[in-house]
Amino acid sequence: MNVNLTINKKQHTLNLKGNETLLEVLRDHLSLTGTKTACQETECGTCTVMIKGKAVLSCITLAANIQGEEITTIEGLAQGDVLHPVQQAFIDYGSVQCGFCIPGMIMSSVALLEKNPKPTQEEIEYALDGNICRCAGYPKIFEAIHEAGKNIVSKGSIASKS
Amino acid sequence: MALTKKSKFEDQYIDPVGKSVPRIEGRGIVTGQLKYVFDVQMANMLVGKMLRSPHAHARIISIDTSKAEALPGVKAIVTAKDTHQIKFGSNEYFFPHTVDQMALEADKVRYIGDEVAAVAAIDEETADEALRLIDVKYEILPGVFEIEEAIKPGAPQIHESLNNIALILPVNFGNPERLMKEADHVREDKFWCPVAHPSPMEPHVCVGQWETFTNKITLWSSSQAPFKCREALAKTLKMDLNDVRVIKMAVGGGFGGKLEMLPMDFAACLLSKKAGGLPVKISLTREEEFTTTRRKHGMIYKIKTGVKKDGTILAMTGEVLADGGAYCSYGPTVLAAAMMRIFMVYKLQHFRMTGYRVYTNNPISGAMRGFGGVQSGFAVESHMDMIAKDLGMDAVEFRLKNITGPNMTTVNKMILTTNGLRECIEKAVIASGWKEKRGKQKAIKRGIGIGIAADVMGSKMYKSHESAGAIVKVEEDGSVYLFTGAADTGQGSNTALSQIAAHALGVSFSRIKCKSGDTEITPFDTGSFASRVTFISGNAALLGGRDAKLQVLEIVAKDNDLNIDDLDIKAEKVIYKKDGRVLMSFDKALELCYSFKYGKQIIGRGSYNPKTTPIDFRSGEGNVSGSYGFEAQIAEVEVDTDTGIVKVLQLWDAHDIGKAINPQSVEGQIEGSLAMGIGYTFYEDLRFKNGRVLNANFAGYRVPRSIGLPKMNSILVETDELEGPFGAKGMGEAALLPTAAAIANAVEDAIGVRIKELPITPDKIIKALKEQKA
Amino acid sequence: MLLNPLTLHLPKTPLEAARLYKELEDSKVLAGGTFLLNSMKLLKTKGTKTARNILSLAHVDGLKGVSFQGDTLTIKAMTRINELFESPLPDGHLKILHAVCRNISTNPIRNMATVGGNLTCRYTWTEMGAVMIALDAKMHFLGPDGKEEIMAPEDFFKNAARSEKLFTHVTIKTGQAARTAYRRVKKTIHVDIPLLAICVKTEIKGKKWYNTRVGINNGVAFAQRDPILEEFLNNSSSSANLGEEALEHLTKTIYDTRSTDYKQHMFRISLKSAIEELCHSRESGNP
Repeated sequence: MNVNLTINKKQHTLNLKGNETLLEVLRDHLSLTGTKTACQETECGTCTVMIKGKAVLSCITLAANIQGEEITTIEGLAQGDVLHPVQQAFIDYGSVQCGFCIPGMIMSSVALLEKNPKPTQEEIEYALDGNICRCAGYPKIFEAIHEAGKNIVSKGSIASKS
Repeated sequence: MALTKKSKFEDQYIDPVGKSVPRIEGRGIVTGQLKYVFDVQMANMLVGKMLRSPHAHARIISIDTSKAEALPGVKAIVTAKDTHQIKFGSNEYFFPHTVDQMALEADKVRYIGDEVAAVAAIDEETADEALRLIDVKYEILPGVFEIEEAIKPGAPQIHESLNNIALILPVNFGNPERLMKEADHVREDKFWCPVAHPSPMEPHVCVGQWETFTNKITLWSSSQAPFKCREALAKTLKMDLNDVRVIKMAVGGGFGGKLEMLPMDFAACLLSKKAGGLPVKISLTREEEFTTTRRKHGMIYKIKTGVKKDGTILAMTGEVLADGGAYCSYGPTVLAAAMMRIFMVYKLQHFRMTGYRVYTNNPISGAMRGFGGVQSGFAVESHMDMIAKDLGMDAVEFRLKNITGPNMTTVNKMILTTNGLRECIEKAVIASGWKEKRGKQKAIKRGIGIGIAADVMGSKMYKSHESAGAIVKVEEDGSVYLFTGAADTGQGSNTALSQIAAHALGVSFSRIKCKSGDTEITPFDTGSFASRVTFISGNAALLGGRDAKLQVLEIVAKDNDLNIDDLDIKAEKVIYKKDGRVLMSFDKALELCYSFKYGKQIIGRGSYNPKTTPIDFRSGEGNVSGSYGFEAQIAEVEVDTDTGIVKVLQLWDAHDIGKAINPQSVEGQIEGSLAMGIGYTFYEDLRFKNGRVLNANFAGYRVPRSIGLPKMNSILVETDELEGPFGAKGMGEAALLPTAAAIANAVEDAIGVRIKELPITPDKIIKALKEQKA
Repeated sequence: MLLNPLTLHLPKTPLEAARLYKELEDSKVLAGGTFLLNSMKLLKTKGTKTARNILSLAHVDGLKGVSFQGDTLTIKAMTRINELFESPLPDGHLKILHAVCRNISTNPIRNMATVGGNLTCRYTWTEMGAVMIALDAKMHFLGPDGKEEIMAPEDFFKNAARSEKLFTHVTIKTGQAARTAYRRVKKTIHVDIPLLAICVKTEIKGKKWYNTRVGINNGVAFAQRDPILEEFLNNSSSSANLGEEALEHLTKTIYDTRSTDYKQHMFRISLKSAIEELCHSRESGNP
């Protein structure tokens, strides 16, 4: 069957059997290996992508079921050489260590900040509770998100640079 | 000679050591472009899978692979008969009899998950089907799963060792029995330190390729120790080291679980050979991660201490029983470390402790982060706190009375040079408000507790030499390569070592590109474990950078008719040492080296072997490490006595790290360790029944997440270790060692409940509170 | 491939979905997929056959959303958990729906999982069971003939799996001067007992308790009411001791089944504290 998906603003028409997860489409069909998988049981969050701006798990998303949806993966955040404010902040604040959790962590962070650029600590913690990081212990990740929010324009609202 | 224009490489990190230079891999990580072995896709790559024993203990009667071989799409199957059946292990040098594992077992399986065969097929479905078609006939043997059951005479024997004891490690000094009699107070405690699991986010994964016309192997592996892997592959496949190439790519975490060759690494190579040289990728599922890699040793830790009434420790005795699982792995070093660490922290003259590494039919225990120090940290620091309480002495005062100091040699001949333990304790005490809080917050069910620890930062405990090598190669345009065998598994060693090399060479950080962990290209390095990389590999990088510098200066001196001893390179400039006057820029100096006249290639070499003495494993005597790090950790908790839930409000970790090469990275390691320490204290508990892991998934094995972590305060104490690269000691595991004890001690301060069996769970608190009332 | 071969059915209207629900053989309903697809992957790794026909409700018109009409709150089945969490609810006793959502799983799952999925396929594990019972939510089903069926919540949790009609939405009466308290013990972070959720709703006039409903999820059986406790509370008045006294009047079988000391303790602590909270709280709509 033909399935149309817009991934990182690019249209794809995929010839699928129907039982492919979005994760497999991304990694195996399109070689977008930025999105990872580490558990296959919905617990780790390394497969997190955004669909219509919401953080979701690609390992339990049936590609054929999201016909026509707009998907953003980690590869779709930077504009050419210019990193997304969240990506830049993660580098600047030392939030990255082994990096395996980071694509998923960044997707959850971007989904949060684009809706709410000034989240409280509690809102950040709840937004990230689906992303396990085994290396960083979280403090620098929180710091990066607080900072990045200062450089993000909330979708549909006036630019909120402090 | 005129000053030349600013180099294109000059940037804010011109004197990189001590600066929080962002991770080299940062951009690759945040864009998802950085490739892990997990991401490797090659043409004609086959999918490999391991066939594992479903029984905890059984004899292999026969293996019939014929049906599986006939399945279309199956390209290779290997069993023990395809191998040389050579055993491998991780402590061969000191304990040859602990080399006890075969990549594919021939006669016996000893735990659920033990590898018996491996297949390579065109896709995962076919590989799974092939596994189902392999017919293995087992004779099931009775198994033994508890430490105390395994050592009883008459228990099922797992290997050829008496009473399932793989190793007895005695540590004996002085006359503790006599001193115990002279003590004013003697206290004895027993602790249970549960089994945790490294659980890195990237599972174990490897790609093996056998070049059939040269019989050369390439193995890409998510490994913390590519050279260790190479050594074991060469041994088991009977090959020369330069015919085995192990390449580490980006690694998604290791935490001690990726320190050895695993059967899958071996199998991937052999399968590739049988499949005519096609690459074979084997990737473990999360369940296999939890059950068939390496777990932490569960330990029964018994300790008895005699003290004078003024708090001076007179003697200490004890016994450690470690659940080693089916094979030895790093067991001996873990066991040794679990006892010998105490000497780094407390002044002891009279000491007797015996460690037993016990075989059970459980999954294999290895060197999870902390190397026995987490278990000993919990037991010893809880025990010390209880002694202080018995004496009516403040917990901090009791520690200060007995701690080691700088420039001393311990009874087991560890040479402590710089030692910031006292400063760490004092700083943590001030930062946490200890004096105002200890014993004073019971009404609001809050408490504060301390744990102290030490760690080896440059140890040699498993091999004759554990040196590190580095090559600093300066190209014609002034860009520089650092080749290091050190395996960056996310802790930032590529960046830190580049900082060291750049600083030693005298140039800006941005010149350096780091290539690490490729056994064919980079010099030998033992690997990323025991927190050794900054000190040992860092010293190698320093020596390499310095060597390159001297090669450059040799040409400059020659060309200018100067004495090389009068010159130096600093911050991108060749200068006169005496007054700092600039002679020329580094770029100009390089032009000279690569000129028609001199044509001198600049290839700096560094090799560093820490200055240690061999350990006598009959007594525990030996200066095991070239450098020792120290810390004091304080935890403040609040207990909800209705639900039993303990909330950690804050953690303070004051850490003697010698010098922070990259402060941000050091903090990152501390924070990650603290989180792991919290995990170990409260909910990381791998549970077993008859050898089967009951919670082999993230739903059942809980790891710390974003919600509810305490505020973490890192206090870096810099004692400037002379032997360390620019004064650095290192940081990797240490912050994890005393966390459980600090929290347990804080809980005791808050509500008077003492938990001696981790994890601290609400039901234990409620039960203890009920018993308290009664 | 992570999943076995399957045929995906994508109805566009509720009637079409209801028809397929009744007629398709060897089928499962795909709502958010967080439970179904995860379990299908797991079963495949064990070599177990999984449903061939997957009935997706993702593209059915009019099956999602939270709305108020008069004194009725309607939550449609395909509303995602986070959508319910972010929907404005009037101050007062309905706000616990937000608290329930907050406690479900993790953020990406809350974005994907649906209210309907949580109620119908999590069996004994639905976080929402106790709350729906306490709120006396009515559960609505649609048959292929267009006929609607309405179930009381306590029956729903036993019978939903056996219905041939498609679950479409929940309605909750608002406008009562009620107050609710909700307690949830998570398996996940600290404790090793299965899901435990308690929800108590009552009306208090003067100090007397009326129309009390107690919804319990003990993690072992389907969510249910505690009739003995309800009867005691409906004959009681708010007081400082009510929570403690109430512990003498429990339907023991609910709490004793496959219970540990700690679980027993947590039941008692949770019930006591929920009742004490209600004694001190204000009713909805009143400042």
